[in-house]
Formats: sequence, C-alpha cells, structure tokens
Amino acid sequence: MSITEKMANMDRRVFYWILFFAMMVPFLSPIGFPLSIAPNTQDLYDGVTGDSIDAGEIWIINFGYGVSAWSECAPGVTVVTKALFREDAKIIFMGPHYDVELTMNKLMEDAGADFAGKEYGEDYVFLGYITGGEAAITQLASDMRSVYPQDHHGTDLDDIPLMADVNEWRDIAGVLSSDTGDWGAYFLRQWQEPHDVPLAQIGISMLGSTGIPYWLAGNYFGMSVGSRGGAELEKLIGELGEATTAMDSISVSHLMIVIAVIMANIGVLTDRGRES
Amino acid sequence: MAYPTAMWDVVGLWTGWVLMLTIYSYPLYKENPVYRFSEHMFIAIFLAINVVTNINNVMRIAVTPMLEGEILMIVPLIMGIMIYAMLIPEYRWVSRYPIALLVGAGFGLGIRGTIGPNIQDAIASTITAPTEGGALAWFNFLYIAVGLVCSLMYFLLTMEHTGALKAPTRIGRLFIMVGLGAYFGNTVLFRFTMLTGRAKFFLEVLKLIPM
Amino acid sequence: MSQVLKREVVYAFTGLVTVLMFVEYFFFAETWSLAETIRTWAIIVYNISLGLGAIQLLRQHTLNLQRKRDNYGYSAVVLAFFAIMFLTGMMGYLATGQQTDNGIYNWLFVNVYTPLGATLYPITGFYIFSAAYRAFRARNIDAALMLIAGCFVILSNAPVGEAIWPGFATIGEWFKFTGQIPGMRTFAMVGALGMIAYGFRALLGKERGFYAGGGDE
Repeated sequence: MSITEKMANMDRRVFYWILFFAMMVPFLSPIGFPLSIAPNTQDLYDGVTGDSIDAGEIWIINFGYGVSAWSECAPGVTVVTKALFREDAKIIFMGPHYDVELTMNKLMEDAGADFAGKEYGEDYVFLGYITGGEAAITQLASDMRSVYPQDHHGTDLDDIPLMADVNEWRDIAGVLSSDTGDWGAYFLRQWQEPHDVPLAQIGISMLGSTGIPYWLAGNYFGMSVGSRGGAELEKLIGELGEATTAMDSISVSHLMIVIAVIMANIGVLTDRGRES
Repeated sequence: MAYPTAMWDVVGLWTGWVLMLTIYSYPLYKENPVYRFSEHMFIAIFLAINVVTNINNVMRIAVTPMLEGEILMIVPLIMGIMIYAMLIPEYRWVSRYPIALLVGAGFGLGIRGTIGPNIQDAIASTITAPTEGGALAWFNFLYIAVGLVCSLMYFLLTMEHTGALKAPTRIGRLFIMVGLGAYFGNTVLFRFTMLTGRAKFFLEVLKLIPM
Repeated sequence: MSQVLKREVVYAFTGLVTVLMFVEYFFFAETWSLAETIRTWAIIVYNISLGLGAIQLLRQHTLNLQRKRDNYGYSAVVLAFFAIMFLTGMMGYLATGQQTDNGIYNWLFVNVYTPLGATLYPITGFYIFSAAYRAFRARNIDAALMLIAGCFVILSNAPVGEAIWPGFATIGEWFKFTGQIPGMRTFAMVGALGMIAYGFRALLGKERGFYAGGGDE
C-alpha cells in the first residue's frame, strides 16, 4: 500500500488532532514571517487617513460579525477606528448581531488608548442592535430615528450631541461595513449605489472573492480581506496586534492543507501511471 | 483583555473553555452525550436571546412610539401577530399578508439596488481598457472580458451546448472553475482563522500565553 | 370571495409593495413618506416574525418531552435553558430596559453563548482539512484548474507562501485580482438577473413558494 493510500485510509481524527495542536505551536514559539500589503488594503487605509478625512466628519462602522468572526474582522475594525479617531473623525457604531455589545466592548478594550481621549456622545456613539435586513439599512439612509429612536443605552438620539444634526445619508461622510456578507451588500445597494456614500468593506476572507470585483469597479473605496487584511492594516498603522500574531498559526495550517492536497494528487498521478 | 481575577469571571472563563472542548469532542473523538448536551444548550440560549432581544426591539421601535401618539404603528403590530397564524393550519392563509409585505419590500429594495453595482458597474469595469501597465494589463483586461462573456454564456444559455456554443461555454466553465478555486482558497483562510482563534483561547485560559 | 382573499389579494399586495419601492427609487429625488412608512412596517413585522422559529422549536421539544420520544432528555435541556435565559432576560429588561443588566443572563451570554457560538462555526475547519486529502483530487482539467487556483490563493494568503517563494504571492495575487474575476462577476450578474426575474414573477403572482400552506395555492 502506498503512503498516500495509507494516509487516505487513516482515521481522520488523527489529522484533526495534529492540525489542532500544530496551530497552537506558533503561539508558543512565534516565527514572524514578513507580510506584504495588498493594494485593496492600502486603498482602505489611505481612505481613512490623511487628507481623505476632515476633522469632525461622521462615519458609520457596522459590526456585521459575531463572536465567531472576531479573529477575522475585529483587528481590521480596531485599526480603522484608531485611524479615524486620530484624524478627529466621529464614529457611529452599530451592528446586526445579538452580541454586538460584546463586540463593542472588545473594540473599546483593543483601542483603549484612543477611546480614552474621546467622549461618548460627542466623539462616538453606540446605537446597538439593528435588525430588519435591507429595509432597515434603506430606512437608516432616509430616517435614522425610525430605526434607532434611542442609542444602545436608551438615550434619545435628540439628547446626544453627536446625533443632533444627523438623521440621514447626507450627514454621513462614509461607511465601513465589517461583515460576513449580507450587510455590506445592503449598504452597497442602498447607500453607495443611490447616494454615492463612500463605502469600504472589512470583511471575512470569503468576501475576498465576492467583494474584490466591487473594489475593482470602484463601488468599494477599499477592502480588507479577513485576518490577513487585518494583519496588513496593523502593519500600516504600525501597531502589531491580534491578526499579526495569528498569521504564524495561519501559515502552519495553510501549509499543512497545501501539503495534504499535493500528497492526495500525487496519489492520483501514481495510480494513473500504474494503470497505464 | 487581562486574565480575570473575580471568582465568577474565572469560573465563566473555564466554563467557556470546557464547553469548547465538549464541542470539539465531536470531531476529535466521536458524537457523544456531552457534545449533544452543549449543542442543545446553545440552541436554547440562542433562541432565548433572539426572543428577548426582539421583544426589546419591537417595544423600542413600535410599541413606545405608538403609546406616544403614532397610532398607525398598530398596523405593523397587528400584521406581525398575523404571521403567527402560520401555527394554526385552518388560518394559515392569514400569515400570507405579512409575508407579502416582507417579500414585496425585500424584492423591491433588492432589485432597485442590484442593477447598478452588479450589472452596470460590472460591465463598465470589464469593458474599460487599461490606460497604463503595458502588456500584462492588456492581457488581464482581455482575460477578464473574454472570461466574463464565456462564463455568462455558460450560465445564461440554457439550450444544449453544442455546435458553435460548445467551445465558448466549455471555456466559460473553465473560467468559473478558476473562480471557484480562488473562492475555496479564501474559504480556507476564513475557517482556519476561526480555528486559530479557538487554539489561542485554549492556550490563554491555561495561561500558556498572555491573554 | 375567500379564495380571492387567500390568493389574488395577497399577490396584488406583494406587487403593490414592490412597485412602491420602485416608484420611490425612480420617480422621487428625495424619499417618499409612503415608502418610508411601508419600510418601517416591514422592519417591525420582520422583528416580530423572528419569534416564529422559537415557538416552532419549543413546541417540538415540548412534544418530545411529553411523549418521551428518543433523546427526550435533550429536549428537557432545551426547555430548561430557554426558560432560565428568557426569564432572566425579561427580568433585566423590565428592571432597567437592558436585558444584559441581569447578572445571570449576562453571565450565560458571555460565558456560555459566546464561547459555544465561537466554537461551533470553526468545526468546519477540520472538515476542510480532511476533505483536502480525501476529496480534492485533480481527476480532470476542471478540477485541476480549481485546485491550482485554490493552492496559489492559499499560499498567497499565508505569509509563509511568500517566505518560501515570492512567486506564490505574485501568482496568488494574480488569481485574486484577475483570475477569479470573470467567475465571481458572472455569479454576481447572474444572481442579480435571477433576483430581477424572480421578483417580477412574484410581482405577477407566478411565484408562490412563500405562500405555501393554508390551502388553495
């Protein structure tokens, strides 16, 4: 029996254990592979820093991801939050997941130093949970108070200084949607397409396939793809964080899967050779 | 986040760690009662969070405004209750009205917003010739243009792919396979990143790496 | 008359709502208050309808428990934890307006729901790995192209690829920014055309999948 046949017949649970523990090793003994910056990530970073941002303008950050996708999306969101705060922009946070409060708490911890210099209600506001799908996002563009009469803490939007003159798409300078697929598309269809509101995506890796065409067509001004994008953003802002430390583990797991694919196909080729 | 010190926080952290292992007992060992228990517990808690959060939401955006004078809010509240007629077989047809509202709004909003980015802008981006980049840029431009046309032919032409259609639809299928391969590559990053997060959590709780 | 109420009026209502959304988009420079009202109503109905799944599931588990079907113990687990979470959440909400202000609810949310949610999704990572060496075989040119593209994208996503050979990153980037574009753009365009076709069928009353049940389809 060839080695590839032995592998194919081996109990798959052996491979699962090997994978699970192999992914832990780089955390115990970091390697630190170099990281290049993709053009879509560079565009995103350029769009939230420097001359692209005027002090006082208001951005929306959409937490369209739950706890399971924190490792994919949270690092990128942390970096863009820091970048916007350092340009003195103001931010409205919101999200369609039940654990949006936990996501906001995590962001406030990860970007603690930047939040420390900002005042709730003046520089940022957390509107909380939103649901209603595309209808809610469309309504947000025309009348925010019909979707969010109050913020997450129960304060009327009229009593929040930041929201005093904010109620529709015209009052928003841009939207950063960090999501697992649907909510970015809603913002694309209901904010960017009809109103040309600048929109960028800080999404999961699969959006690297479905979202890149939108970046190429100019619908997104920038795009961060998964944890790799988060690591690139961390490198751009010069503050390495969670995504960068995870890259070594990602490298090990990806190398293992490529080796597995290659070995499986060597088996196919040798079988074909034997048959002929 | 620092390693917690308060007793219930530490208990909570270890509870999460143990629950993680109960879930991973399924792929790493086999299906077992502990896994099933955790799975059912998750479903129950998720459902309860769903119900409580949505009660909160409905009170906030419908009931409170109605009590403050917006009488028309009674209409969607009644329609929302009508959807529960689905649970009673002889009155199931009553639930069609709120569904009709959701379906109509969903289609109307989706269709009006999809034409721009998914059709117009996609075509414009495909047919816009490169202004710089040399031979490689032109190769990429032609690759995308030819690939898009052939792939669309593969999908949209539902008659038998023979004769003059055979070659372009076959080529279109190959372009689609390349796209699916790249999608698979990105999916791997997604799944393994989530797994990496769990591997890190495993070590953090054991204090083998700082939290 | 009852047949008309059960069928034709429903289709007409769907069509009317769809047309209102179109009219707002194409004929109003600003938003139209009628369309805004309809959207607000849709959001509220959507919120209320999310309880339907909970009721169905609870009903099923209650029946399991009553009739002592196979594995009815797990149904007891579902009902018990639902009750705890629901009651504590409502206590928190009624007390302060925020369900997470209840200590028990918040503890279960942070220490049970969150780690379980974060753990259930990554299980597929294991299955992708076993699928890689069992099923991803290049038996023909289609599968070979798919695998080649996939492997280069995998190696360009992980920094180790570039460390082994810079070509992996270069070729992987080509696949990401050019190679996959025809396929992905096709999916987007065909999806959009499909949504338009499906929407018009719903508008004309030809698409009745949403209205199953209640007799007289």
